[in-house]
Amino acid sequence: MGYNPDKPMDGRISDLGPPHYEQFFPPVIKANKGKWLWHEITQPGVLMHKSETDDEVYTVRVGTARLITIDLIREICDIADAHCDGFMRWTTRNNVEFMVDSKDKVQPLLDDLASRDNRFPVGGTGAGVTNIVHTQGWVHCHTPATDASGVVKAVMDELFDYFTSMTLPAQVRIALACCLNMCGAVHASDIAILGVHRKPPMIDNKRITGVCELPLAIASCPLGAVKPAKAEVDGQEIKTVKVTVERCMFCGNCYTMCPAMPLADPEGDGIAILVGGKVSNRISAPKFSKMVIPFLPNNTPRWPETVEAIKKILEAYAKGARKYERVGEWAERIGWEKFFEECDIPFTDKSIDDYRLAYDTWRTTTQFKYTSHIK
Amino acid sequence: MPTIEHNGKSFTVDEDGFLLKGMDEWNDEWVDYVKGAEGISDLTDEHQKVIDALQEYYKKNGIAPMVRILSKTTGFPLKRIYELFPSGPGKGACKMAGLPKPTGCV
Repeated sequence: MGYNPDKPMDGRISDLGPPHYEQFFPPVIKANKGKWLWHEITQPGVLMHKSETDDEVYTVRVGTARLITIDLIREICDIADAHCDGFMRWTTRNNVEFMVDSKDKVQPLLDDLASRDNRFPVGGTGAGVTNIVHTQGWVHCHTPATDASGVVKAVMDELFDYFTSMTLPAQVRIALACCLNMCGAVHASDIAILGVHRKPPMIDNKRITGVCELPLAIASCPLGAVKPAKAEVDGQEIKTVKVTVERCMFCGNCYTMCPAMPLADPEGDGIAILVGGKVSNRISAPKFSKMVIPFLPNNTPRWPETVEAIKKILEAYAKGARKYERVGEWAERIGWEKFFEECDIPFTDKSIDDYRLAYDTWRTTTQFKYTSHIK
Repeated sequence: MPTIEHNGKSFTVDEDGFLLKGMDEWNDEWVDYVKGAEGISDLTDEHQKVIDALQEYYKKNGIAPMVRILSKTTGFPLKRIYELFPSGPGKGACKMAGLPKPTGCV
């Protein structure tokens, strides 16, 4: 039965939830669920899991752009049909994994993937740079300060060798969010790319009456910079808001709540770089990432400044960190003043926390190292 | 801006069909128009009670009520509100009452 717009509730099916994941298990996964003994990474992008029943499963991980066409999904299905009995899976970082149940089937799969014009780069395992968790950007969102797909492509092109190899001290997670809603993982990633504004919102008094719930816009401001106000539009007094510009830090929360307060600006908007976050509990506790570069311009289509900054941080980390040390652990061991020196990043007042609980982030000790930053 | 004509009245709306001028342009024809667009067959007293509650709260407070407040003031559990307005309290009831379109990460 097709959908009948005159009777929208007729024959409506709802609240089914997702299909049960076991329906889509490859036979070898289903047979060995909960029985795995150990695993190894046989080469970058290829893992082997050994079961107590002596079964083996080989997993080949390939990168994707996350934003993909149905044509590409069909091609992924074709590959899964040809090599993996029609089974495949996506990872939590939007890589694709193909699984085969014997070693002989791995090489034909790798050859097939390699024959497809680098649409399916194999890698993303171990101590390398895997896929970048990212957001919508200018493709679909209305609050971004930068693009997502474009920046991610530019950065991954530059770091591609780190995707297909495992030469770093530990894995490096890079994430991008196009505004500080931080959809995704930027607040807890080794290197994070974040879209930021630098100008206050413009208030459109002509529209504000019909499209805005003013108390929400006022309550959305973390600094109390939005205040109720009155304005005159076409000879009529209306209720509106005004922004105390000196208090505004351009977060854009008020625009999220009120469409008549846009703040995107081509020159003002750009990218901040944060580093040192992680989510695992391995050796040290999870950490938030910290802001080290306050602003880089939106230089489309290749964002050269952003790409260069990330490469510089990654190379300094690769040179300086010990085995198993994540970016944040390295920075904390050598001291953040040394981190800025090693990465050749100028330290600015923008990195000094001044939001409510800021005091704890300042240095309350005489322990520090002299660096090139202290003149 | 798109305009909608219904029973001789015209309304300025946005791309989702919410009144751009809010309750200034709201009238019975608008309710009748949204009724058709939202697939509501008969407008009952219960519908009217939800619309009245939304408008009263909005006029007094400048915001739409939270769902729990709407349930409490009307006495309808969320399930009943969905039965009355299949698109829900935001896209259905607020649209019909002439309140601004819900914002935020919706």
